[in-house]
Amino acid sequence: MSYAVELVNISKSFGSVRAVSNVSLSIRKNEFFSLLGPSGCGKTTTLRIIAGLEEPDTGVVKLDGRDVTYVPTHKRNIGMVFQTLALFPHMDVYDNIAFGLRMRNYSEADIRRRVREMLDIVRLSGLEHRRIHQLSGGQRQRVALARALIVQPAVLLLDEPLGALDLKIRQHMMVELKRVQREVGTTFIYVTHDQTEAMVMSDRIAVMKDGVIQQVGEPYDIYMHPRNRFVATFIGDAINLVEGDYASPGVVKTSLGDINVPSINEYVGKKVVFAIRPEKILIGGEVSSDLDNVFVGRISLTIFRGAFIEYRVYVDNMEFVIFKPHVGVSYLLLKPGDMVKIGWRREDGILMPE
Amino acid sequence: MNVLDLVRRSRKLKLFLFIGIPLLYLFIFFFIPFLIALLYSLGMFKQVVYQYIFVPRVSLDYYAGLFKYPGILKLIQRSFYYAVLTTLGTFILSYPIAYYIGVKLDRRYRDTAVLIIFTPFWINFLLRVYGMRFILHEAGLVNTFLRLLGFVSEPIKFLGTDLAVIIVMIYSYMIFMVLPLYGVLEKLDVELLEAAATLGATPLKTFLRVTLPLSIPGILAGSLLVFIPALGEFVIPELVGGPNTATLGTIIYSLFLRVRGVTGWGIGSAAALIYITMIVVASYIYMRFVGGEVVLG
Repeated sequence: MSYAVELVNISKSFGSVRAVSNVSLSIRKNEFFSLLGPSGCGKTTTLRIIAGLEEPDTGVVKLDGRDVTYVPTHKRNIGMVFQTLALFPHMDVYDNIAFGLRMRNYSEADIRRRVREMLDIVRLSGLEHRRIHQLSGGQRQRVALARALIVQPAVLLLDEPLGALDLKIRQHMMVELKRVQREVGTTFIYVTHDQTEAMVMSDRIAVMKDGVIQQVGEPYDIYMHPRNRFVATFIGDAINLVEGDYASPGVVKTSLGDINVPSINEYVGKKVVFAIRPEKILIGGEVSSDLDNVFVGRISLTIFRGAFIEYRVYVDNMEFVIFKPHVGVSYLLLKPGDMVKIGWRREDGILMPE
Repeated sequence: MNVLDLVRRSRKLKLFLFIGIPLLYLFIFFFIPFLIALLYSLGMFKQVVYQYIFVPRVSLDYYAGLFKYPGILKLIQRSFYYAVLTTLGTFILSYPIAYYIGVKLDRRYRDTAVLIIFTPFWINFLLRVYGMRFILHEAGLVNTFLRLLGFVSEPIKFLGTDLAVIIVMIYSYMIFMVLPLYGVLEKLDVELLEAAATLGATPLKTFLRVTLPLSIPGILAGSLLVFIPALGEFVIPELVGGPNTATLGTIIYSLFLRVRGVTGWGIGSAAALIYITMIVVASYIYMRFVGGEVVLG
């Protein structure tokens, strides 16, 4: 099977800064793939290397199985949505969208038909003769998307395109992007620092840090089985981390006491980081005496978060973050200062190397 | 209450000090003299120099006198010819420089590069033009080079020709083209060029479809800054040209300073007014034509 995009051992430095370090990725056809990481992690540079806007120092870029490492951008048949959108200010919506087709010498009749189709897909019909500065943020977004998609690129590259939008429009555009991607059936590579965007839209995510890929996987996989401390903390709203020694199979010795964990032989005798997600922790009356892990702590803070309640519970010096949906009202009875039992199942714990 | 308090309190007074003084300045040194020239050209002044005797009648005699001047149409035509070629020449030579400094050059070095472009302007205009006489002379720098490189056996006679005038005019006016072009190109969003490339545009098409249209305000400003003074240029044709390079500016100059008297000033004023009218008309047509939507719409 040939991949839509393959990166083999790509590295790129700017001066003494190593922006991308030995990155290898295989992105499947029609996949919604996200490059996720904090700013400066090399995700945008990686995207620009795929686009041919930067040349890698070492490594190979393949599009549809073809080596394009030294092929200039305009011959790569890619589409790109820039962070600033980079819409042509001297053209109206129609001319912006038609630009790629004109570069490919389509007839004006053909262009008119295709632009109309594309305006329909991104739901901008009727606005074709607006100037760019007359559009709202969300509308500009759609023009940029339509302009990049109309040439039917082998892969569409998106560089934090939702960054400038308000939360509500951003949430709406996330769903729109996913819908458009399904409708046109194109490979999307999406760069973002926002883990929610990546989780909502992606088929697979690559988490990057300091130019190095930390983990690649489906959103579920990355959330449930983070490979290291960075991925665990970067993905998800919060996570509880406890350091300890994996003394014997299934038991981690920590300052809180023994924690019962899944049995993973490769960790025996090593220092490990134990992690548990906030929604996996049971609290108060939910904790039965036969639960694998039970601790007693004191509630320091309760925060009403709308869809759930956030508790902060101190066990010794360790503060746990716990999320509870409020079915019924019983959870609302827990107050700061109360002593409560908290606990979790052995299989809900996550183990990572130190 | 003293004067300062009065100024502080009165908005009108502040406004007057803020724009009133510059306006007053322009009124005294531009508008009044312009009005005087207008009245002169219409024969409404009787005497010259410090004795302004107003005559309440309008006559077009000086305008008629100007057009009876031998070869006047030829002179106007030549002025246009020089101004258009100078504008085109400065544009062709300035665009690559402005593009390089404003787009390609590392941001850190841009100010230095602009400063370097300015260096010839540290020297007085007249001295520079006079210096060009030596460079273009039959035994000068250009001819020496051409001879050493074997391009010519006989020295080319530049001085006194249209070519010399145009070469020197392009050199003298180039900075007025480079700066406005640099101004727009420096602000050009490089991502727009990258976006064009991702859409399949070759570098040439990117230039024609994106860079060039977005430079129009700079092209417009630059060409007006060059064209307008170039149309009235008389020093350069005088210094490096000859009897066949006289322009409208030359005539205005000689009417005021050589012919003099009521007639000289009258016909000179008429010529100056015709010159101004031509500039206004030409600039307007040009802005309609090139600027189109960008500037006016």
